[in-house]
This record gives sequence, structure tokens and C-alpha cells, in this order.
Amino acid sequence: MTTATLEKAAAAEAPRKQKVILAEGNEAAALGVALARPDMVSVYPITPQSSLVEHLAKLIADGRMDADIVDAEGEHSVLSVLQGGALAGARTYTATCGPGLAFMFEPYFRTPGMRLPIVLTIVTRDGITPQSVWGGHQDAMTVREAGWIQVYCESVQEVLDTTVMAFKIAEHHDVMLPVNVCLDGNYLSYGASRVEMPDQADVDEFMGEKDVNWHVALDPLRPMAVDPLTGGTTGKGPQTFVRYRKGQCSGMQNALRVIEEVHADWAKRIGRSFAPLVEEYRLDDADFAIMTLGSMTGAAKDAIDEARDAGKKVGLIKIKTFSPFPVEALMKALAKVKALGVIDRSVGFRWNCGPMYQETLGALYRLGRFIPSMSFIGGLAGADITVPHVHRVINETEALLNGAAAPTEPVWLNEKE
Amino acid sequence: MGRAYSTIAFDPAKCDGCGDCMTACAQAKTGTDDIARSRIQIYGRDGAADKTFELALCRQCADPKCVTVCPAGALSKDGTSGVIGWDASKCVDCLLCTVGCSYAGIALDETTGHVSKCDTCDGNPACVPACSKGALKYITTANIYNEVGDWEDLFAPGLAGCQGCNTELLMRHTLRRVGPDTVLATPPGCVPGMGSVGFNGTTGTKVPVFHPLLTNTAAMLAGIKRQYKRVGRDVQALAIAGDGGASDVGFQSLSGAAERGEQMLFMVVDNEGYMNTGMQRSSCTPYGAWTSTTPVGETQRGKTQDAKNLPLIMVNHRCAYVATASTAYMEDLYDKLDKAIAASKTGFAYLHVYSPCTTGWRFPSNLNMEVARKAVETNFVMLWEYTPQDGLHFTKPVDDPLPVTDYLKAMGRFRHLSPEQVEHIQKKVVENQKFVERMTEHAHVG
Repeated sequence: MTTATLEKAAAAEAPRKQKVILAEGNEAAALGVALARPDMVSVYPITPQSSLVEHLAKLIADGRMDADIVDAEGEHSVLSVLQGGALAGARTYTATCGPGLAFMFEPYFRTPGMRLPIVLTIVTRDGITPQSVWGGHQDAMTVREAGWIQVYCESVQEVLDTTVMAFKIAEHHDVMLPVNVCLDGNYLSYGASRVEMPDQADVDEFMGEKDVNWHVALDPLRPMAVDPLTGGTTGKGPQTFVRYRKGQCSGMQNALRVIEEVHADWAKRIGRSFAPLVEEYRLDDADFAIMTLGSMTGAAKDAIDEARDAGKKVGLIKIKTFSPFPVEALMKALAKVKALGVIDRSVGFRWNCGPMYQETLGALYRLGRFIPSMSFIGGLAGADITVPHVHRVINETEALLNGAAAPTEPVWLNEKE
Repeated sequence: MGRAYSTIAFDPAKCDGCGDCMTACAQAKTGTDDIARSRIQIYGRDGAADKTFELALCRQCADPKCVTVCPAGALSKDGTSGVIGWDASKCVDCLLCTVGCSYAGIALDETTGHVSKCDTCDGNPACVPACSKGALKYITTANIYNEVGDWEDLFAPGLAGCQGCNTELLMRHTLRRVGPDTVLATPPGCVPGMGSVGFNGTTGTKVPVFHPLLTNTAAMLAGIKRQYKRVGRDVQALAIAGDGGASDVGFQSLSGAAERGEQMLFMVVDNEGYMNTGMQRSSCTPYGAWTSTTPVGETQRGKTQDAKNLPLIMVNHRCAYVATASTAYMEDLYDKLDKAIAASKTGFAYLHVYSPCTTGWRFPSNLNMEVARKAVETNFVMLWEYTPQDGLHFTKPVDDPLPVTDYLKAMGRFRHLSPEQVEHIQKKVVENQKFVERMTEHAHVG
């Protein structure tokens, strides 16, 4: 290749200039959706997701987004409309949280079984009862065995970029599963920050040609029965069912690779990169680590920096992809440390600890090496997880490193404040 | 598929033996008033006044013995009209045909020395209008089946419905009419239960079909229709749903889709309960009915509440089209299907079809049409249609209904009813009739 051709190729690959705007997380999610050019969005408002719906409605009303918007009578119908749309070949999107997600559950757990690549933003909200309209991860954690891919965002910019990537991941032929982009209610939904808007042409090239329903469709031109009854007591039925279930599981495992590929492609084309599965922060020479999820990571990184300045050899592990759980990537990170503290923004009722902590115990077992660890629960019902909170986590985890016994109960960060 | 033909029907209960039909026939066919030469003959006109009368008339049989026995080939059945014709040039006057016919439908005309028989006067029989008692009727209804017979049955043969299942009959007719450019939604219930969607990789339906949740039929179908509209394809969205899902747990999505005017045809097959899962009550189950969840015991005797009137609720959504129908009145049903399909091109069309259930209602499987018909003849079920432009009107008004007991006694599910319960049902039937009648008077305000 000549130098001129190389320069031309390089120029073509370099991302176009990006507009800088100020946006809330909900607005960034809506803008990300618009960039992905869905055919259909169906929505029902619920706090703290409502302004996301409003932004979508406005984008469509202003002609900045060419999608059919269905204002359905509740989340149950919202996802049902999208299932229909997806079965007719549409790229589809919605957002919900908390009680809305609970109300959506019946079609929700059916979506991965039909392998419909629907993207759904969970603007995370704590569970009721007691009543709470504030942030927390309880809603998303509650549905973690429904078979959706779940990724958690740290910043408003990450929300926008991840939303676009979510469609590419969902529609990948080796995956064909729905994706939840989780953004923290209150903190990210209403928190405004500087956001770089990728150029539409760059996103179009990234997305490629639309190819949503090559596998399952309701189309008179190629009639098929979608989702016939399977199972029974013997023979062919249960075998068929097992084949489908195994297919879903392998789709989830394939997603780990696809998520990495899509993030790498995004970084190359758009010029911004995010850790696709697990982010390691100041971990390489760390003696112990803390683990975070979502927006709390910002405060945690600040606390880590301060602790490092104070001479503590502490690092951070951020989970970006929670479902499928990135066991291999996490084991690689865990191999570097000798003690671990895990912060959850939700509770696991069965084990009396945070759900992410519980998942991590499995990865620790796989590691084949005992690491003392403990569970921290904070940020419930909209509570802030601040730098001082994280310092407490760092200090108590460090005590494990020095031989303190790990408590069998979680540490509740907002209990007495 | 065989063909059905128009025919002349005789009701002996209405015949008083006046002989006007015979005179009219003689005039039409021979130009005389000689009733001996009429091709329709009423017997039993002599004797007591309360005597019943019988009819001798050619039935234009599907498998005519007169034609079979004719050695000269003078008799033949017209495949289009169904009329059995006689060719004088071939007839050898052997009269074997008069022996072959069991109905005395063909006889010797002594005046001409040849046989003569009814030819239905080219579809306009002179005898029928001549009968002032209404004992004769020219029945053309069956002709709709000829057209239907030419359309493809879009369900596979051998669906696992119960013996005499009315719902299967309805499904096959409906999908024939709607046609193959359809996406069919069959929520949990009898329709998928008999294998429409299929089991373990098979399917019983030739159009794309799916099994929505019991709760989300209208919403899922709306998504499909919207996307096809978006890409400019004319695909019919059709739901064939049971009454339980539609009136109970699926009502929210039904109501939401109707409010948004989603362009689909939503058909409810009302067998008044969850018949597929063991005959439990739904909100469409009528008062007093036995179901497995409204049993008959010491302290409770069947359902204690009246049925929810879902079609009237849908009228109040101002749908593009709402109608009730019954398989006992097929012509009416087809007419409403046509209107509903047309309405679904612009808005939400809702069709509520009463569908007797041999198994759950406890009656013999050969009595399905009879039960369906009695429901209408007693006004237990009223057949009407509604559009925002023309309001609500009856399509089969029954001004002189039979007592509701004529309907109730046909079924085991009402066998236990006390006189008070029957009285309650009869009162409700009258009340409902008056309510709908008032709507026919006031529905034009919109």
C-alpha cells in the first residue's frame, strides 16, 4: 500500500469530530437509543425512568428519531408490544425499573427464551416494600436468573456508549439475547455531566446492516409456529427443551466474547474505550481489593487514590458485565489479591449478603485459593455511597488481610448515619 | 368438498292444507289451475281439520336414486344449481324413476303421459310466495358453504379438539375467511390446547401462529401489526382468544389496544369458562352455572354472580367494529367477519362469538348447534353489531323469545337450578335485552 492510501485508510477509520453536550443519564440513554436507529420503542413512565421516556418522545416528535412509539397501558404490555415487533423484524427498545420491571416480569422471562434481541434500560431502583422511589440495584438483581444480559454503567458517557453497543451485542448471531443496560437511578438518571456525542455516520458504520429476526419470525411469507409447547415426561419433548435451554446458556457464554469484541470495535471506531467485563483499577501491585458495581465506582476510585496516597496497597475491581457473570476475567483479577471486600447496592435474602458478593464466592472457589472476604451493603433506597463509606470498606477489608476474622453478616453502610 | 344447494323447506306445523302452493305451481308450469298437475303435492287434505299435512316434492337429492335407476339417461343432476333435470327427448316413459324416489318427488303427469318434477323455477319457485302461512321457504343459506369450501382450510386436519367442538368449527371457518396473509395469535386456552400452535416442533396451523401469554395477546399482536405497517406490508393481525384470558387477566392489554386503535381483529371464543384447563369459572360464566370452581354443594349452587358483558364493554371503547355472533347463524357470522376484517384496516375490531362447549356445559356432542340456536332464540345471547357511525343494532332480533328454560334444560351444567335461580336468569335475560334495546335507540349520539 502506498503512503497516501494508508493515510486515507487511517483517516477513514478515525472517528469524526464529536459534539460535546451536557446531558443527564436518562437523556444520554435516549440519545444512545436514537443513534442505534430502532424501529419501535414502547414505553410506560415510572420514577426514576420517566425523563428517559420523555426524551424519547421528544426525539421522535422532533423528527430526530424515526421510530414507532407505542405508549402502552403498562410495562407488561410494553414488553409484549416489543416482542411482537421483534418477531416482525423490528429493532426494539424500552426502559423501566422497580415495580415496572416486576409488572413486566411475565413477558420479561420469556424474551430470552424466544431469543429476541430487545434492549431494555433498567434505571435501577430499590425494591418495595417499604416504599421507595429511589435508586438501588434490587430490581435488576431480582431478575438475574431470567436469562437477560445485564451490564452496569459507571458514568453518563458510559450509558450513552453502552446503549448503542447493547443493540450490537444483542443482535450478534452467536448471542441473540436481550440486554439490560443498567444505569443507577437518581445518580446517573438525573446526574448531568459532559457527554461526547458520537457522529451518526460512525455509529451507522459500527452497527452495519440491520439483521434482527433471521432466526424466528411471524411472517406470512415464511409461516412458522413460534414457541410451540415442548416437554412432557419422556423422549423428544424434554430433549427439545434441553436443547433450547442449553442454547440459551451457550448464547450467554458467547456473549462474554462478543461483548469484548464489540467494545474493542467501538473503541477503534468511536475512540472511547470501556472495560467490557471487569475493570481493574490500580490492581496490579495491590495486596487487597474492593469490588464495585455501577455509579459507586467513581467515589470508590477517589477513595482508592487517597488510600494509595496513605500507603495502602489497595486496588479496585469493577464489574461491568454482571450477567453472564465474567468468572474467568474476575478470577484473573482475584488472583492478584489476598483479601476482598465487595460492595452491593442490593440485598440477597437467601445468604444474608449482597448478591454480587454471593456470585463472587463462586469465582473464588473456582480460583482454588482461599481469600478472606466480606460483604458490604450500601446505597439502598437512594443513599449516597461516599468516599468515607469506601474508606470504611477499605479499612475493614485491610483488617482481613491482617488476620481479622471475616464477619458472617454483611456490613450495612447506611445503618447509623 | 361437496357442494350445498338451495332448497325448498316445508314446515308441516304451519301448513293448513289450503293448496295455494299447488295452484301456483300448476299455473306456473302448465298454465292451468289443475292442482293434479302441480309438481308440489300436499297430502292429507281430506278428513279432520286438525290433521297434519305431508309434502311430496323433489328434494333435488345429492345422490338421486331417480337418476341412478333411469335406464335412458333422461334424468341428470346439474352440478351448478343442484336441480335434477328431465330430458323429454331421452325419456322412454318407463316410470322406473317414480319407483326409485322415496319422496314421491317425481310422478306421472297423466295429461302429458310423461313424468314431471320440480325444477325450483330457476331459483324463484312460484309455490313459496303463494304460501300465505309461511309453511314453505326457499332456503339459500347453504350457499355460503360453497364459497367457503373453495377456500383453503388453514388448520391441519386432526386437531385434538373435543368431540363436537364448536370452537374448532369456528376457527376453521374464521381463518378460511381471513386468509393466509395473517399472523394468528392464540393465547392459552382451547384454541392452542387442541394443537393450533403445536407440540414439540409440530404445528397445526398453516399461517404463522404464536402462543402469546394469557395476558398480553392484544399488545403482542399490536407490535407485529405496527412493524408490518411501518415497512408497508398489509398483514392481517388476528387473535382467536378464549373468554377467560380476554375478560379477566388479559383485559388490560385488550382494553389498552382498543383505546389506541391498534389495527387488528380480536375474536373472543366465549365458551363461558376456562374449559381447556378443567372447566373453571371465568367472569363470562353465567349466573347459576356449574363449573369446577363454582361447584354444586350444600351451601352453594353454581356461580353466584352474573356474567361480565365483555362485548358491551368493548362498545364503550368506541372500537371501529364490535359484534356478537353465533355459529348457529353462519351467514350472520360471515357477514360480521367481513365487516370486522374491513374495520381492522383502520382500527380495532372486536368479534364476540358464543361457543357452546359440549364437555364443560354437559350436553351430548350432537346438540351443539341446537344449544347455540336455543341461546339466541331465548335471548340468552343477543346478536348485534356496533360501529361508531351507525351505532348499535340487532342483526337477528328475537322479539318473541322462547322461555329461558328451553335453553337451560338442554345442558347438564344448569340441571341443579332451583326455581328461584331460573327466575333470576330469566329476569336478567329480560333486563339485558332491555338494556341493549336502549342502546340501539341512543347509540347514535357519538
